[in-house]
Amino acid sequence: MKGTFLWRNRVLLISGALLIISLHMISDGVHPDDVVARPASVLIEILGPVQAASSRLTEGATAVTRDYFDLVQVRRQNLELKGELGRFTSERARLAELEVENRHLAELLDLKDALGLQAVAANVIGSDATGLSRTLVLSQGSADGLQPGMAVLSNQGVVGKLIAASPHASRVLLIDDHNSALDGFDQRSRARGIVAGQVDDGLIMKYVDRSEDIRVGDTIVTSGLDGFFPRGLLIGSVKGVHREGPGLFLTVTVVPAVDYRGLEQVMVVKQQPPKLDDGAKGS
Amino acid sequence: MLGLFSLLALIALFLETAIPHLVPAHVLIPNLIVILVVDLGLRYHGALGALMAFAMGYATDAFSGIHLGVNSFLMTLLFLLTYEMSRRLLVTNALVGSVLVFFGVIMTALGGLWLGSGTEVLSESGPMLPWLLAQAAITAIIAPFVFALVAQCRRAIGLPARFARE
Repeated sequence: MKGTFLWRNRVLLISGALLIISLHMISDGVHPDDVVARPASVLIEILGPVQAASSRLTEGATAVTRDYFDLVQVRRQNLELKGELGRFTSERARLAELEVENRHLAELLDLKDALGLQAVAANVIGSDATGLSRTLVLSQGSADGLQPGMAVLSNQGVVGKLIAASPHASRVLLIDDHNSALDGFDQRSRARGIVAGQVDDGLIMKYVDRSEDIRVGDTIVTSGLDGFFPRGLLIGSVKGVHREGPGLFLTVTVVPAVDYRGLEQVMVVKQQPPKLDDGAKGS
Repeated sequence: MLGLFSLLALIALFLETAIPHLVPAHVLIPNLIVILVVDLGLRYHGALGALMAFAMGYATDAFSGIHLGVNSFLMTLLFLLTYEMSRRLLVTNALVGSVLVFFGVIMTALGGLWLGSGTEVLSESGPMLPWLLAQAAITAIIAPFVFALVAQCRRAIGLPARFARE
């Protein structure tokens, strides 16, 4: 067996087979419910609690570090009040953290009420593994009713949409990822276009007619026509309008309204806007 | 061997996904999975190495991008290239490993953009090249330490630090 062609070239042959399997997965487009996607869901489920725990630990460590520096300052000023001030500082840091969290949740609740949609709040516990794509990991999953395709919002605006959900964690594709696109329009001129992510940074609004009146600073909101995001949600503001070149369309660069790096809590809209297909089926 | 690399891959993925979220500034995170795959290609000349590289790529796909299979393909390809290179080279020390890691990071990043999003996106990737080169450099710099750590782990569990070359 050891001297045979198959044995001598086993690494090459097995690697070749695995490359073919990978290419098949890419070209076939794996659906979240497929058997092939299940191990990925299990992996998210395994790392989810660890990520959530590390997130909590870091928050705790940050609070402890902050308290320590406060304490050093207090000790310099008044040694007698060190213990008492330390306790108060610690309490204040905890309350400040609670206040920030409370404000975020209240803002999300306001947004939920304003939209009149069924939604669930979720904590952000991780980022994209390679940094080349822009995705986030959330602490809630299919056990909380989350499913791929659901819209994810923050009090600042549109965040992205769910692309995978395991029972207790899920992944969001941010709107500034180069694989992301949604239908939007200029709130002032009503000019429509497709807002897509870019490889480097920011958003670009494509397929805007050259005759449209779009200006720097205009607000871009969702149109609701893509079937994922409710109408009228803030996407960002126009950073630049490029009319150069002979094409039919304008190139509009957009600054996202949401600071994705600072996101701690988000809201997942469980109820999606009706799609054209649904109406057709119903009639 | 399988258990060791599974554990290391999980730790690597945890670090890659957790650190960018936990630190406030936009920091460059080294691609630890590429280092592990290069280590496999250089030092583990068996079919299990290819399977582990595929599995590590699949695990990366679970936490990155939208297409399952992209990183599986690229990591298997990187393993194969490293394996073929290590069979032909006289020396496969940490420096050679670092060079392979440097090019491996660039290859997997650009290959990922191309396979996942097509040539149009790849042609728009110019502005991210400085970032990519910096990430490749940082990954290459820490690679010898990771190689040493993996060798130590191997010894600790009673495996040889490196396996016999074909």
